[in-house]
Amino acid sequence: MKSIHKLIIALTVSAGVSVTSCQKLDIPPTNIFTPQIILGTEAGVNSLLATIYRSLPIEDFKYRPDGGEDNGGIPHPGFNPGNPWMNFYHAGAVTGEMVGPFGGMDIGAGFGYWPYANIRNVNILINDLPKYADKLGQAKVDAILGEAHFLRAYYYFALAKRYGGVPIITIVQDPGAPISELQVHRDKEEATWDFIGAELDLGYKMMPETNQTGRANKYVAAALKSRAMLYAGCIAKYGSVNFVNGEARSLGFVGIGSDKANGYFTKAFDAAKLLEGHYSLYEKNPDKVQNYVDLFLKGDSPENIFIKQYSIATNTAHSWDATMSPRYMTANALSRAYPTLDFVQRWGALSITNADGTPKRFNDRAELMQGIEPRLLATVYFPGAVLRGLTFDMQRGVYPSFSGTAASEVAKSPGSRTYILSGDPKTLYQGKMVIGFTGLTSAADDAVTRTGFYVRKYIDYTKAISETDLYRSQQPWIDLRYAEILLNRAEADVELGNTGDALTCINQIRNRAGATPLTSVSITDVRNERCMELAFENHYYWDLKRWRIADVVLNNAKFKGLMPYYVANESKYIFLAEPELFQRNYNFDKRFYYEPIPGGELGKNPNLYPNNPNY
Amino acid sequence: MKKSISRVLLGFIILASAACTKIDNYSGPNASFEGNLISSEGGNLLTSQGSTQIRLEQISWSATPSPQEIPSKFDGTFMDTKLFKGTYKVIPKGGAFWPVYDTARVEINNGTKHDFTVTPYLVIKNFTATLVGTTLTLHYDIVAPIGAGLPTILETQPFVNTTKLVGTGASIRDFSDIYKKTINKDWANLTTAEKSITIDIPNMLRGRKFFVRAGVRLNDSFKSYNFSEIIEVDVPST
Repeated sequence: MKSIHKLIIALTVSAGVSVTSCQKLDIPPTNIFTPQIILGTEAGVNSLLATIYRSLPIEDFKYRPDGGEDNGGIPHPGFNPGNPWMNFYHAGAVTGEMVGPFGGMDIGAGFGYWPYANIRNVNILINDLPKYADKLGQAKVDAILGEAHFLRAYYYFALAKRYGGVPIITIVQDPGAPISELQVHRDKEEATWDFIGAELDLGYKMMPETNQTGRANKYVAAALKSRAMLYAGCIAKYGSVNFVNGEARSLGFVGIGSDKANGYFTKAFDAAKLLEGHYSLYEKNPDKVQNYVDLFLKGDSPENIFIKQYSIATNTAHSWDATMSPRYMTANALSRAYPTLDFVQRWGALSITNADGTPKRFNDRAELMQGIEPRLLATVYFPGAVLRGLTFDMQRGVYPSFSGTAASEVAKSPGSRTYILSGDPKTLYQGKMVIGFTGLTSAADDAVTRTGFYVRKYIDYTKAISETDLYRSQQPWIDLRYAEILLNRAEADVELGNTGDALTCINQIRNRAGATPLTSVSITDVRNERCMELAFENHYYWDLKRWRIADVVLNNAKFKGLMPYYVANESKYIFLAEPELFQRNYNFDKRFYYEPIPGGELGKNPNLYPNNPNY
Repeated sequence: MKKSISRVLLGFIILASAACTKIDNYSGPNASFEGNLISSEGGNLLTSQGSTQIRLEQISWSATPSPQEIPSKFDGTFMDTKLFKGTYKVIPKGGAFWPVYDTARVEINNGTKHDFTVTPYLVIKNFTATLVGTTLTLHYDIVAPIGAGLPTILETQPFVNTTKLVGTGASIRDFSDIYKKTINKDWANLTTAEKSITIDIPNMLRGRKFFVRAGVRLNDSFKSYNFSEIIEVDVPST
C-alpha cells in the first residue's frame, strides 16, 4: 500500500517536472526591440526614421550657431538645443543682416558639431534594411533606402560646410574592432563633396515623387544637391584665391582645385533644373505684401519643398513670435536681434534726405513706407507698421527744433546735439512721448530695437497678443523652398556664363516680390537678390563664407540703424542714419572659413590630424 | 582599553595597506622658454596684442599634441615660465613676416633660450611724429625687404593710446581707426609717393601724454600688421 503511494508521488513529481521544464532557453528577448521589429515593419522603420529626422541638422528657428546651452549631457548641441526659447540667437546677428545678442563674431569657430552617432543610425538602416525586403516589399525598401541616402548626405553636408574634408563612414562600425580600424582618416574635401553629390543622386533615383509632409521625396534630394554643389563650386573657385595655407590644405583636406569649379556649378544647375514644373513660387494673393507674408505661414504653398514642423502638443513648438517682436506686442519674453539699415539698403537707399542734405520732414512715420518694395515691407517691420492692432512707434528722441543737414548733425558729438533722449517710454516732452513703446533707447534693456527695425518674416500676425508666448509658435520652418532653387540656378548660370537663364530666374523672383524686373544680370545682382530674398533664413552666413568675402565684409564692421526723431516745433518726423545702438563690431578671421576639428575628437582619433589651418 | 588600541591599530593597518605607495614622478611645470623674434632687417620684430605667437607642440608627450601658444610681447620678446620639461616643436606664427615652415625642435628645460629670425613683410622706416598746436603729424616710409610675392597691402593707420601698450585692440578709436588709409594694392603697383605716408591727427587733447605708432596691414592668412616703434608725445596744456 505504502509503495503504491510512493509510486504515485514519484510519477506525479516526474510528470510535473517534465511538463514545466524549459523547452528552449534561446528565445529572443521580450523586453527590447530587435532589428526584426524595427526593420521588419513599416511602423518600426518609421520610428527609426523619426529619430534620424529629429536630429537632422536643419538650421531652423531654434538653431543656435554658437552651440547654445548644454542639453541632456550633450554640450552645445546647436541643433534642437535644450532651452530653445531664445530664438534671437540667430546667425544673421553676426553678419550685419541683424545686430543682436552676440558681442562679436562669436560663431566663427563653430561648436564642435560631430554627428557620427546619427550617421551610424543611417548606416544601420542602409546596411540592414535590404534583408527585410520580403517583409516590406522591394519597392518600399528602395524608397526608404533612397530617403536614407538623402539623410546621410544631409548630415555630411553639415559637416563639409564646416570642416571641409571629414572621414566618410558608410559602414556600421563594430565597437569591438581593433582601434586602428575605428580611427578613420579624414577624406579630402573634394571627395566629401563628391560623396554628398552621389548620395543625393541615389536619393533622387530611389525616392518617390511625393512623401509624407516633413519627409523627403526625390525633388528634395535634387534641391539639396543644387545647394551643396553650388557650395562646392564656390569653394573650388573662390577658395583657391582666398585661403589660409597649412598642412591640411596641402594635403587636400581643405580646398578644392579651381579647375573643378565649373563641374560643380554644372551639377548645381542640372539639379535645380530637375525641380522645374514640380514646384512654383507662392503667388496666391494679388496683394504683393500680404502674399510675401503668407508665403512663410501658409501650409498649402507650392513653393515649400522641405519643411520642419512643430507642435505645442508634442512640446516641440518654437518661440519665433515671442522673441522677434517687442514685448509690447507679445504676451511674454523679449526680443534682442534687429535688422540693420545696411541690410534694408540692399534694396537701395531710403529716401530720408532732401537734395540739399537736410532731413526730409514726414507728417507720420508710416509715410516712409511709401514706394518701398513689397518684399522688403514683408521682410522687415518699418516704423509706422502695424502688428496685432498696435503700431511700431519707434522713436529715438525729440528735437525741440532742427536745422542743418543730416550729415552734419550725425557727425556731432552726442554732447553737442540738442536732442532729448530717454530710456523710458513714460518720459514726456510737452505732452508727447520722447521714445516709443517699441524703442529706441541704448539704456541697459536691449529688449526693444536698437536699429529702428524689427523682423517681419515668419511672424504670425494672426495670433492674438495673449497667445504670443514662449513655446507657442507652430509655423513650420521652410528648409528648402523653390525661390532658393531659382537663386541657386541663377548663381550657377552666372558662374557658367549663361546670363540669359539667370535673368529669367531672377525676374520670376522679382515679379513675385513686387520689384521691377532687371534687364541684365551680373554676379553682384544675383548675390544681392539672394541676400534680399533669403534674409533671416540662415543662408547669409554660409554665403559670405563660400564666396570667401566674409573677411572683407566683416573687417571691423560696424552697422547702422535708422533713427526716427520728432521735431517738436515743426510737428514733423525726421529719420537719421546713425550707428546702431549696440555699437557692435564684427571681425571675421580668415581661418574661420573652416571650423576647427573638435578637440575631443582629435584626442580620440589622431588620424584626424592635421587640424584645419591656423588652429 | 586594550581592545580599543588594537582596533585603532587595525584601522591604521587597513588604511596603510590601502594607501598609495607610488609617488607622482612627473615634475611640475617648472621649465621655461624665452627668446627674441629677431627681424632680418635689424632689431626685434615689433608686434602687438593678438599678433605674433610662438606655437609649441610637446612631441615628447604625444605624437599629436594639442598646441599651446606663447604670445609675443610688444618688443618682440617672449617668455613662458610654466612649461613642462620635454621636447617641443616650436614655430613663430601669426605676424606680418614671411611664413616660417621648418619647425625647430627644442629641448625645453629650466631657462631654455631660443631666438627666431624672421623676415618682415614690410618695415616702417623714418617714423616721425611732429606736434604743431594740437595737430599731430605722422610721417613714415614703408620698405619691403622682399617685394615679389608680397601679400596685398590693405591699409595703413596710426595707433594712439594713453599707455605704452598701443597697437591693434589697444588704441583710441577717434585718434586711430578713423584715420585709417585704404591702400589695397600690390607692392609692385605702389608708387614711390604711396610708399611715403603722412597722416594728420587733429584735436589731440591738451595736457595729456600719448603713445603713438603706425601700422601697415597686409592680406596674408592672419591679416597681420607690421608696426613701427612707439613714440611718446606730450601735448602741452597751453
